[in-house]
Amino acid sequence: MFKRNENPMVDVQKGLNIVNKRREAIDNSPSTPLPKSYKVNELSKSLHPGMIKAELIDIKDSISDYKILTFKSLSKNKRFPYFKAGQFITISARVKGSIVTRPYSIYSSPKDALNGIIEIGVKRSGFFSNFLVDVIKIGTKVMIGEPSGDFYYDNLRDKKNIVGIAGGSGVTPFVSMIKSLIEGTDDFNLTLFYGVRKREFMMYDFSSINDPRIKIIIILSEEKVDGYEYGFITKDILNKYLKGDYSVFMCGPDPMYEFVSKEFAKLGVDYHKIRFEHNTIGDDPTLKHIEHKLTVHLRDEVHVIPSYENETILTAMEKGGLYTPSRCRSGFCGFCHSRLISGDYYTPSKYDHRRGADKKFGYIHPCATYPKSDMEIDVPPLDELKEL
Amino acid sequence: MKKYDCVVIGAGNGGLSAAVKILMGKKSCLVCEKHNIPGGFATSFVRGRFEFEASLHEFNGIGNEEMCGSTKRMFDELEVSDLIEWIQVKNAYRLISKEEGIDFVLPFGIDNIIKACDTLCENGGIEAKKIIDLSKTIYEAVGYLSDSKGNPDPEVMKTKYYDYLATSSYSVNEVFESLKTPKIIKNVLSAYWSYLGVDFDNMSFVHYANMTYSYYSMGATVPKYRSHELSLAFEKRIHDLGGDIFYNTEVKKILTDEVGHVSGVELSNGEVIETRHVIANCSPHVVYSNMLDPKVVPERALKLCNFRKFAGRGITIFLGLDSSPEELGITEHSYFIYNSSDSVKMYNEMKDLHHHVGQATCCLNNVNPDCSEKGTTILYMTSLYFDDAWKDVEEKDYYKFKNEVAEKFIEDFEVATGAKIKGHIEEIAIATPQTYARYTGHPQGVIYGYEGKYDDGLMARIMMVNEDAFIKGLRFGGAYGEREIGYPSSYKSGYNEAKRTLKDMEKEGS
Repeated sequence: MFKRNENPMVDVQKGLNIVNKRREAIDNSPSTPLPKSYKVNELSKSLHPGMIKAELIDIKDSISDYKILTFKSLSKNKRFPYFKAGQFITISARVKGSIVTRPYSIYSSPKDALNGIIEIGVKRSGFFSNFLVDVIKIGTKVMIGEPSGDFYYDNLRDKKNIVGIAGGSGVTPFVSMIKSLIEGTDDFNLTLFYGVRKREFMMYDFSSINDPRIKIIIILSEEKVDGYEYGFITKDILNKYLKGDYSVFMCGPDPMYEFVSKEFAKLGVDYHKIRFEHNTIGDDPTLKHIEHKLTVHLRDEVHVIPSYENETILTAMEKGGLYTPSRCRSGFCGFCHSRLISGDYYTPSKYDHRRGADKKFGYIHPCATYPKSDMEIDVPPLDELKEL
Repeated sequence: MKKYDCVVIGAGNGGLSAAVKILMGKKSCLVCEKHNIPGGFATSFVRGRFEFEASLHEFNGIGNEEMCGSTKRMFDELEVSDLIEWIQVKNAYRLISKEEGIDFVLPFGIDNIIKACDTLCENGGIEAKKIIDLSKTIYEAVGYLSDSKGNPDPEVMKTKYYDYLATSSYSVNEVFESLKTPKIIKNVLSAYWSYLGVDFDNMSFVHYANMTYSYYSMGATVPKYRSHELSLAFEKRIHDLGGDIFYNTEVKKILTDEVGHVSGVELSNGEVIETRHVIANCSPHVVYSNMLDPKVVPERALKLCNFRKFAGRGITIFLGLDSSPEELGITEHSYFIYNSSDSVKMYNEMKDLHHHVGQATCCLNNVNPDCSEKGTTILYMTSLYFDDAWKDVEEKDYYKFKNEVAEKFIEDFEVATGAKIKGHIEEIAIATPQTYARYTGHPQGVIYGYEGKYDDGLMARIMMVNEDAFIKGLRFGGAYGEREIGYPSSYKSGYNEAKRTLKDMEKEGS
């Protein structure tokens, strides 16, 4: 028998009294109004504001195929959040009957965001990027999704020496990193290998950089010029400039990833030590253009739209003008996470980054899913796109 | 206008269990969740080649081959058990406490614990047994009280569960003191305090005993596919039972009729849903201040909220490491690494923004070897803030600051265990109070609901659950509910509130 007091009845009495005690404590508490918000929650909202309605305020031509677009927020209470140099945002716009969303690496610096500006670099390479390069005009309104992705320097994860490998427009996140270094937001050493066909296709003028932490090596593949490397980014070129411990970041086309990671393997750098910026998943030219019916539930709305075996079902939903969530478009981030109700589909294993339980219970990432039959899916709607 | 018998706000654990129970009572139910997936904190996320568990360290209440835990019985009744694969955890925890020089692995199973404690001091086993036996009576009494639906037989309570009555007004430390528990035994059996979120001068012994008896005797489990598996199992049940779930959909307002009864909810897309019953699996603070018309919120609801204290705000460092646990020297699944075993001292130090005095850390591979590729490790360390410590962190400093904090916790783990972490980090994610606030909207990034101080402890909450409900048709599940914090508790409080709601519906004949 448990006993604390000499008289055990006191213990029991006290036990029976806990309700009265609590009631009394409530009675004696103030009835002051409760806070409407909290500082921690406010910062959380600043960092993750959801989508922001924005206006295109400037277009800079870098080279013919590549433009720098500058946006400012149109939302009264939302400005662009502080981000980590190297991250991407999404741009959503209505193009003809479609509502299209695509990720783009940020070209501007984290400090620019605090000053209300965000810039992206876009290269003409497909349906939406062609629209952004050729059609979009100053004053056009778009929705901008919050900064995302893991393509940034992290002092706990990465070595102090970062080796950047950039191909073509893949230089964009490195431009943001360089700005961030110069502004004093980040602090690491960057050795950037930039592969480009000819000098005229260079998307950023590195000549003015004068910072001992930043070293740029330009590799031209179609012209031999003094002061530049020539050819591809090979083991020998890497070896010439690299020593000691480093972490590798790569941003460029998939064939470059394949080639350069093999060159790094020859130097003893494991594939898993290389951080790749994910390329978006497009149409699959190896698949046939066979039509299937796609039934999409958005809350209690039901839409029936066409889909094609060689296009992802995210593309089908965008073409169908649906308010569909989309962020990384590379199978990774899970923002488009949707429930499969019925149907067969194909997700290439290299794009399949679903959680274990998602596979077990039949959930899909529409951005990485090609239909193989009629399908029925339940998609979380993105109401913010209705502002477009 | 669309109409449901019940609308559940938030697809966290309490919301999911509530929805299944309502639907099993043959009532229609809509769950609204502002995030795009279910679970609240019960989820997972992918970084590189790792799938991280977002919050669950270990699940207490499922049981083992010999004993069926109380949560398992509830999951059986809700018919979700067959949808979940559990893996049994081997040892309770390894406690490393700097001040007292303790480095001790506590096994599961009462006999094993007694044997292990016997090595700590003279009569260590006998002294540990006293606490455990007392805890057993209380565990059984809580079960009895729960089964008696608030009408226990006083005679049974006075005879069979006398010890429950005798201890129910005392803190854990008061009971340790009364039993003259040797310091080392007290320290070892106190390690669990940070999972309960209140120091042991203020934690009611009844709650401690109820939780730890189940934990020590039956052990703990983890779901094979992280807690996301639990959330999807519940989601599947909801769909199979004909329920609806709206994701990316926030409930903005709870509407009431002329007599102050719930009459509907207004959603973030502007739609209004008609309903007479809402189970809010979110903070009452948020409901009373932002979701209801201030005119219908009684003064006593404000008094109740102001009386209560927010419990721990969380920080977790998720690490994907490029070597195996053996290579890194990580031997256990569950670690408590404390500067001191004195929970009162620790609690006070954990109010500081710069503290790194304690962490609860799990290596998932040591219970679930297939959780990541061979030759890699998933390690995650959690700590708490018992104050609104992160409130003054500014946006421009936020990313840098959270890495500084994370580094200290990582270094503490390395020093305490001798494991090598730095230089092996392939992926890292850091969840701060801001992160927890982002995903659930909990004030200040609270992960533990209201503090279960014994004035507002488990038994008082259970006994006053009807008195604490002010708006007809509105009940609260989840971590802010009657059962306090933790996975089993939040599922249970959602389930209980659904039962009460079904009863309310029966009464009004709707």
